[in-house]
This record gives sequence, structure tokens and C-alpha cells, in this order.
Amino acid sequence: MLKLNTKIISASIAVSAALVMTACNSGASASGSNHSGASTVQTVYADGKAVIDGGTTYPVVNGYTSQYAVNTQVDSETLNHGRVPTAGELAAWNTDVTHIKLPPEGKGTVEEGEVLYEAQCVMCHGDFGSGGGGYPALGGKGEASELQKTLKAQRTTPDEDGPVRMFGSYWPQASTMWWYIQDGMPHPKSKTLTHDETYALTAYMLSVNEMMVGDIAVADDDEFELNRDNFADIVMPNVDGFEPEIRGENGTENVRTFYAKASNFGGQNLNQGAVRCMTDCQEPTAKIVRIAEGGGIRDFFPPTNIVRDLPDSAPVAIDVKAEYAANCAMCHDTGAAPTVGDRAAWEPLVSKGVEKVYANGINGTDTGMPAKGGSSLTDAQFKQVVDYLVTGKL
Amino acid sequence: MSNNEIKNSELDVQTEQTNRRDFFKKAALGVGALAGTSLFANEAAGEGDPNIMHHVKWGQTWGDPVDKNLYGIPSAYEHNNTRRGTKLLASGNLRASIAVAPIHESQGIITPNGLFFSRSHGGTAHVDPNEYRLMIHGLVEKPIVLTLEELKRYPSVSRTHFIECPANGGQEWRGPQFNSLQFAKGFMSSAEWTGVYLKDILKDLGLKPTAKWMLAEGSDNSEMGRTIPIDKVLDDAMLVWGQNGEALRPEQGYPVRIMLPGWEGNLMVKWLKRLKFSNEPFFAKEETSKYTALKPSGKAIQHFYANEVNSTVTHPSPEIDWSNLKDGDRVEIQGLAWSGMGTITAVDFSIDGGKNYVKANLKGLVLPKSWTRWSIMHTYKKGQVIQLASRAIDDAGYIQPTVDQETLITGVEAVYHRNAVETWEVQPDGKVRHVMVRSQLKYDKETGTMSIEGKA
Repeated sequence: MLKLNTKIISASIAVSAALVMTACNSGASASGSNHSGASTVQTVYADGKAVIDGGTTYPVVNGYTSQYAVNTQVDSETLNHGRVPTAGELAAWNTDVTHIKLPPEGKGTVEEGEVLYEAQCVMCHGDFGSGGGGYPALGGKGEASELQKTLKAQRTTPDEDGPVRMFGSYWPQASTMWWYIQDGMPHPKSKTLTHDETYALTAYMLSVNEMMVGDIAVADDDEFELNRDNFADIVMPNVDGFEPEIRGENGTENVRTFYAKASNFGGQNLNQGAVRCMTDCQEPTAKIVRIAEGGGIRDFFPPTNIVRDLPDSAPVAIDVKAEYAANCAMCHDTGAAPTVGDRAAWEPLVSKGVEKVYANGINGTDTGMPAKGGSSLTDAQFKQVVDYLVTGKL
Repeated sequence: MSNNEIKNSELDVQTEQTNRRDFFKKAALGVGALAGTSLFANEAAGEGDPNIMHHVKWGQTWGDPVDKNLYGIPSAYEHNNTRRGTKLLASGNLRASIAVAPIHESQGIITPNGLFFSRSHGGTAHVDPNEYRLMIHGLVEKPIVLTLEELKRYPSVSRTHFIECPANGGQEWRGPQFNSLQFAKGFMSSAEWTGVYLKDILKDLGLKPTAKWMLAEGSDNSEMGRTIPIDKVLDDAMLVWGQNGEALRPEQGYPVRIMLPGWEGNLMVKWLKRLKFSNEPFFAKEETSKYTALKPSGKAIQHFYANEVNSTVTHPSPEIDWSNLKDGDRVEIQGLAWSGMGTITAVDFSIDGGKNYVKANLKGLVLPKSWTRWSIMHTYKKGQVIQLASRAIDDAGYIQPTVDQETLITGVEAVYHRNAVETWEVQPDGKVRHVMVRSQLKYDKETGTMSIEGKA
């Protein structure tokens, strides 16, 4: 039986502190002269259990935890702040969806999801969730259960394919997708979807990831409806692909056991057989690997610069075409939105006044235009890109 | 010389405003031309550094009034000391992205608030502190709602801890990528944090014995959430509102974030909205789809909490190298060491890429789960190629692995929690570049294990 009541733990800290105090009178902490060292560091908590991350904890000794003096006046009488939330407030914020807490009532089909996806998601996540422009890929690469097998890919040489870590192939729980769409998507205007819409978009995700709900292959059935009743039947191919096992009664104990052994997570611990080698410490096969001349990653903004001078006050010039390619082309070059210099398409918009076109671009619209196309351009810079987009001229 | 032009024109403005004497103005404008003449020089005659032989321009005119910049800003000359980004680290746009800290310019164990690395999953939220509410509920006897003012009434503590993104160095599992200290190791920063221990708040709320996990959820547009085990909540977890003596910066979660000393930055949820205690974990997006470390077995480590023992050389760096040193110059090689699992007890240093080590010296404050400075003196030999490497040890007994030791266990696809020894190569001309000392690995897909190619 776990006894995690804070009062119990506080009491046992006090007991162990008293014991340590009789055993240790160095007062190194109190002197403040140096790190207090091993006398106050523990790899177990006051309840005798190993520290959960495999590291250390610093019990209070002589009024100090490591080098920090502890405020000992903290008691429950000084801590009575705030108020109890109303039932309505709890309901409004208690929106997590997990493997033990189903989404709220609602329903949506793959077909409905596709329509929503094309209207609100495709500009970033690409056709069928294929990704693009750095935005995460969500699907469109094949059957989830097959892609799950790529998790055993290791790129030990540069020309190999890496593991595919997508919703269908990697994520352990479907609840995560529903919860995240509902609370975090669409990214520029989150928390605007109805529960039904979130069901529909989740159904579409099941389809483009070629996943199963019970024995139904969702990709084969555009009319498939996801709802609260069949949500728990979603098959997640990689549900057991993670360690330590955190579900169930032993969840935190499994974590503790896992991190007690350094080799589980790539660590080297001197108390578990590792050696502090001082001479001839590298494998004979080890070589110095260098970044190829002109290679590596170097598109830093701003570029690396350690010069100490006065800043240039001239406005920063932008490469309009490059900004267009990076931020706008994914929709404006693909037919999802009017393309560069397409007079017929732009005419009705510009006829309402170019200031309106600027404003829609800068603030974003409900019909899919993200604010400034998701870019970090200033208003003035963004207007230059709009001018190019409308006129086709630089 | 555009720099001189800028300097002179700015000086011109200052002298117009503050100096009525034409003589000074002319003299100031003519600094370059008049160098070496007696008109503007100290009385002492003879040759010397013009910066000494002549009055410096800021020494002969009024400075700014004290009411200029009522919130102070760095010297204009420091404008290149900034965070930096790269498109590679952007999820499409720069909202779900990171700007990394200029640790090549960092001093001591504190990062100024404006340079603290910035990572968000939906952009930097700007929270109105008057509308801010924090809810604590779930498996507690008494759920509560707090305003910011109420939260700040709890007894506070201040502690110095680093925050590190667990993807620090995560682009280099398969080889070096960044000829830059800022990008290779700058996904971290350090500050003194002020707030309240969660265990103190819970003294009033009464945790139920079945509570094993706590969800921390942000109020930003991504509602970034993470599950935290109760053991950490009752050990040293804090809710913090202060950063280096002022309110948290928006990039750090103003007005309140959770501080979990030593653990991955992603767990330290910003713009904090809700804490919920539960008997089961929550499987939030950023603890499943990301922030999990795939191993050669095909299984991924989840709930990978602590940033393990780590270190790097910071002086020299690819940014600030040794190309100005003369043969025989004595120079201090400096670095940072840190561990999310405890306190740094030692740092070893190598000039042959980790083949042989000597002990380096710790300096300054040595605090748990904090940046720790180390250094070692070195005599520079012009033309000599050396590989600078450091290896830290903490009081939990962890020692930094070699690249081979780490990748043999975790493979090359883990993305997160890479803490192998870093190596910086000094070139014949004193320039410094990032290298990696490693063997070629071989992967056996059947058994899901790595081995070293060519090893007997």
C-alpha cells in the first residue's frame, strides 16, 4: 500500500533528518563554504523508495536542503488560499481525454472529416496528411500496422530510411489524438471545433493511417462513423511499444524500477559497474568524424555574429520570392487559394480595397488563411509579399 | 568603414544635443583624422594606443539621463548577443519552434531573461495576469481555484536550476551537424526561480492516497500538457512566478510555470492552467508522439524525465575561437557541466578527443540540478590540432558516456536525451569546429541490437 499522503512523508522526513543530524554534525551546509556533499544527498526518499528518475534527493538536514536554507514556518494554517471551484468550472476545464476517460458524446464520419480537413487542415498538413513545409505528416504513407514495423529502423549509414513515427504507426493511444484536436487544433485558432467535428477529423485520421476499429478497415469505408461507443475499439498497433509500462496499478513502480538501472536508458553509473577511465578510454575503432566542408546545418537566423558594433538601423530587406515559397506556396501554388498574378481570381478581392486584402492576410481568415501565412514577417514586409502575390510583379 | 560612419554620426547627434562648444564637436568628428595630434590628446607626449593617448568620446560628453530606458537594455554594442533559430527546428512556422541561447557568450551560471532559450508548441502566449486562474483538482480532498495574487501569498522559495530541452544535441545522433556551440548545446539556460513548493500547497489540499500522477496543463493555444509522477511533486516540484528577480518572461510561461528541477524542459509546463491528480497517466500529445526515445529494440522510452549528467567546453567555441592567440599564450579553457539527477562532483578534461583525461577544476557555486562552471589552464601551441572534450560526474554516480557507449544502447534514432561526451577540434589556424569521436555501428534488426563494426 502506497502511503503518499504528504503529512506522512513530512513526518518521516523529520524522523530521518533527526537521525542524520545525530550521525552528522559537520554543518557543512550551514557554513555555506562549500557543497555539503554526501551527508545530505540520498538516492532514496524518506519512505525508503528509490528516487523515481534514478537520481538523487536532498533531505532537510540542520534546516538546509543541499545549500538552501529551508523556511520552516510553513504549516497548513498559513496555506489556506483560493476557493473551491464550482461544478460548472470543473466541467469547463476538466477536458482531458485518456485511455480511461472517453471523449464526450458525439459522432462524425470519415467523409465529414475529409471535408473539414480540406477546409481547415490541408494548408499545413498536406494532402491526406502527407505533411509539407515542415508541418507534421499525419498519414498517407500506408497501413499503420505495416509502418509500425519501421520502428525497428536505425540509420547507421546515411542512405537508409528512418522509422516512421506517425499517429497510426507510433502513438500508443487514440485518446491523445481526439484530445489534441479538440484542444489544440487548428493551430492558429484552436478550441473552435465541435465535438462532432473532432470525431469526424479523428475518423479521417484513422482512414489516412489505414487503421482498424474492431474488425473494420476504416480506409475502405468513407461512411464509417466514429462515436463514443466505438472509440475504445480503435486498434493502436504500437500500444505496447513503450517502456516502462506506465498504465495500471504498478505504473509509477515500473518507472522507478526502470530508472534504477542505468543501462535501460543509455546511462553509465559508477555504482553500477561503470568505470571512470583516465587513460586509453576510446574504442580502437573510434574515429574523428567531421562536418563536411560547406556541410552541416547553417541556416541560422540571425547568422552567427560575435562582432561588437552598433546595429545597422536600415530596415531588413526580405527576399519576397523566398518568403512566398516558404510561407504561401503550399496553398497559393496548389489551387487551394488564388495564385500569383491571377488577375481573375484576385479582382473580386482587391475590388473591396487592397487594405482589406492586407488585413485579411495579416490577421488570417476563417476560410483557411493563417495570420501572415504563419510567417514571422513584419506587417510592412508581409504587405510586400501580398503585393507580389496579387500583381505577380516584384 | 560603415561602422565608423555609424559611430561618428551617432556621436554627432549626441554632441549636437549635449555640447554647445563647437570645438568639442569638431574634435569629436575628427577623431580618426586627428589621431596622434596634440589638439585632442592627453598632455603626455609620445606614442601609444590611441585609446589611451586620446580622450575617449564617451568621456567628454554627457551620458544618458537616468530616466532613459526605465527598463534597462544591454549596450547597443551587444546587439549580436541574441537567441537564434533555424528553419530545421520549426514545425512549419515559428510558433511550434525553438530559439536557442547564445551560450558561447554566457557568463557564470545564470542566463539573462532576454537570452533564455525559448520553446513553445503554439507560440508565446500573452496572459493577462488579472484574468489568470489556476485550478488544482482530481484526487485531492479539497480542489481549489487560485488567482495569481492568491498563489503568490504562499510562502516562497528561490532556487537556481537550469532548464534543458531534452532535444539538446538531438540533431547529432548520427554525426555532427552544427559548427556552432549555440546550436549544438544551446537548447538550455539557467535562472534563479521563485515560487512555492507544490508539496506545501498540497498540505492544505490533502492528497488522496490513490493519487499517483499529476497532469500539468498550459493555457496556451496548444494546451501543452504533461504527466508528472507524484514522487516528483512531493520532492522538489515548484510553481514559479519569478525568474532572476522579476516576473517570468512570456517566453517562460508568464505568469506561472511549473518547475521540476533537473527534468526535461518540456515537462515544465508554461502558462499553467490546471493541475489534476489521477491514479493513471494522461498520454498527452507531447509525451507520446514526441519526447519519447526510440531504442534499437523498436521500443521507445516514455516518461524519460531527468536530463542526465552532461558537460561541454564553452571557451573556446566555433563562435569565439583561438585564431587571435599567439604561440605560448596561457588561456583558460572553460565549460559548463550539469545534471538533472543531482550535483556535479567532478569534470574530467581531454585534449585528445576523450582518449586520455585529467581532472578539471570546478569553480563558483556548485548546486544541485544546476549549471556548474569548470575550467582548466592551457598553453596554446600555434598550429597544434587538438580535440577538446569534457566528461562530467554527478553525486548519483552517473558519468557521461562516450558516443559509442551511448549509441550501443539507445541507437541513433532516439532524438532525445543525448548526453555523450562532446568534442571540439582546434584547427591549425586556431579556429574551432564541432567533431564527434565514434565508431561505425552495425545494426542487427533481428535481435534489435547494435554492435561496433570491425570490433574483434
